[in-house]
Amino acid sequence: MIKLISAIIVFMFLVTSCKKDDVTPPATQYLQVDVIPTYTNGGAMKMNLDSVYTTPEGHQVKFTDVKFYTSTLKNESINLLQSSLFDYRETGGIMLRTSGDYTKFANLQGFIGVDSVLNHSDPSAFPNESPLNISNAGPMHWGWNPGYIFMNIEGKVDTIPDGINNLDHSFSFHIGTDLYRRDFSFTNLNWLKISDSERKLNLKLDLWKFLHNPISSIDLKSEFLTHTASGQQPLTEKVISNFQQSLQPY
Amino acid sequence: MKYALYIFILLGVFLACRKDKVGYKATPYILDIPSHFPDMIIPSDNPMTAEGVELGRFLFYEKKLSGDNSMNCATCHMPQNSFSDPNQYSTGIDGIQGNRQSMALINMGWENFFFWDGGKTTLEKQILEPVINPIEMHESWKNAVKKLDQDMAYRNMFFRAFGEGGIDSTKAAKAIAQFIRTLISGQSKFDVMYKYENSMPLTAAEQSIFQTIDVEEWAGYDIFKSLDGADCFHCHNGPLMRVKKFSNNGLLPNAFNDLGRAHVTNNPEDNYKFKVPTLRNIALTAPYMHDGRFANLDEVIEHYSSGIHMSSTIDPLIEFGSQGGVQLDAQEKYLLKKFLLTLTDNNFVNNPKFKDPH
Repeated sequence: MIKLISAIIVFMFLVTSCKKDDVTPPATQYLQVDVIPTYTNGGAMKMNLDSVYTTPEGHQVKFTDVKFYTSTLKNESINLLQSSLFDYRETGGIMLRTSGDYTKFANLQGFIGVDSVLNHSDPSAFPNESPLNISNAGPMHWGWNPGYIFMNIEGKVDTIPDGINNLDHSFSFHIGTDLYRRDFSFTNLNWLKISDSERKLNLKLDLWKFLHNPISSIDLKSEFLTHTASGQQPLTEKVISNFQQSLQPY
Repeated sequence: MKYALYIFILLGVFLACRKDKVGYKATPYILDIPSHFPDMIIPSDNPMTAEGVELGRFLFYEKKLSGDNSMNCATCHMPQNSFSDPNQYSTGIDGIQGNRQSMALINMGWENFFFWDGGKTTLEKQILEPVINPIEMHESWKNAVKKLDQDMAYRNMFFRAFGEGGIDSTKAAKAIAQFIRTLISGQSKFDVMYKYENSMPLTAAEQSIFQTIDVEEWAGYDIFKSLDGADCFHCHNGPLMRVKKFSNNGLLPNAFNDLGRAHVTNNPEDNYKFKVPTLRNIALTAPYMHDGRFANLDEVIEHYSSGIHMSSTIDPLIEFGSQGGVQLDAQEKYLLKKFLLTLTDNNFVNNPKFKDPH
């Protein structure tokens, strides 16, 4: 009897000690979209905030802030992400990082700006990790009804003809409100393999093209300020249109 | 073989009968966060508990934390001044003054940077500083802890807050941080205006307050937000009435040539940039700016209206800096000030839960 009990105990011990771990599920696939701002004719050289560049007119210029929202990112009926906030100073070149299968996003559509419903929702009610939560939006929310600032480019330029290169003139483009939300649609995207579980897409934000668009150039001497206010429609339209054209797959 | 079997069974019985470790659990503390505020992110290593908050309140007002037992946190963060100091510079126990104005402690649970230059990134780390600073409380934490440890009431409070015996600076800082996270201000007239502007439902009490907001206060709010008016909202917006940034707002460098954020980053691009403070309870927190140079709101308004000093690191959002400021007329200044007064939250400064418990 004792032998039998001993045998059972030993058998159970062996069975439990040999139990295999659960089968490991497939690793989550991550997708990252980076934005590389550039400021050279032809758009090949990366732009660094606070670095001084020269405009075609010979004025010194530097960018101090580049931020923008995208929302409703999807490929036709396949959703990728509700919203993303690109903040060059805070997060470097990363526009978004999320789980997803890159093979389903050979094309990508969405808004530059924030979908109308989201734009007028309580900014405190979004989940803590959402870029739309007021804690994350910070200055990218106006604090009242117009909602979010969709696109924000700020900097300094030396257009004051005082003979001193001290970048003593600011420019500030803050575009928002539903009227100025714009679409984007990128096709045949090249998702670069970073690792077995990660793919990356590079977008270029050509700030040379943004400021010196051959059809609708922004003259920083006189066109240095818009906050999408009434009376600023022509520059607001030009700024968001140029921005839309400047954001393209790399 | 027989002995082995007995030992095995005994082991099994022993393990089966082992009791879970009985542990003291403090009472979770539910923060009273206004409906129009974002969530407050609480550090996972310092959860809010009723006992922790209460201990923190005692410590906030505890003079034993200073070298000569004469100062506590409230000496420079006075409740009646919305937890700020009405003096331009605070004076430490040795009679030495600092060179920056004490910041108001309002809604600190939503902050990621502390001190005017953002030199600390958590509330717990920030709290450790004033005790040992020679120009402030000038005490070692070792001595402070020793003094607390001689008090049985504190020994008990620390146990109740942390579920274990022993007092140390980390626990003290955690408890004070818990108390400071309860210092939430969100019941001013402005809050009702903000909710109304954002189409959020008002409670019956807020409806009553709404009825008291007069035409001048609304007009002042318009000037506050207007690009052609005071243009304040770029740096002071949202329910917390500030944005998270460091900004050079066009002040002339002071006698100390305080470089602000650049002290922390060593980046000349950050010269003369300071943390943007909340405007909540602004009427109670004079004097103003990082060095308390402005004695009252009129001087502050005049600075933004006509006193801007241009420099290479000035915030681009000081958009009318090249003409000296936003150039408000007397009526606009009056209305703007009327709006700023709506940011006063009397419930906050009179909250009995925030008072000295000693």
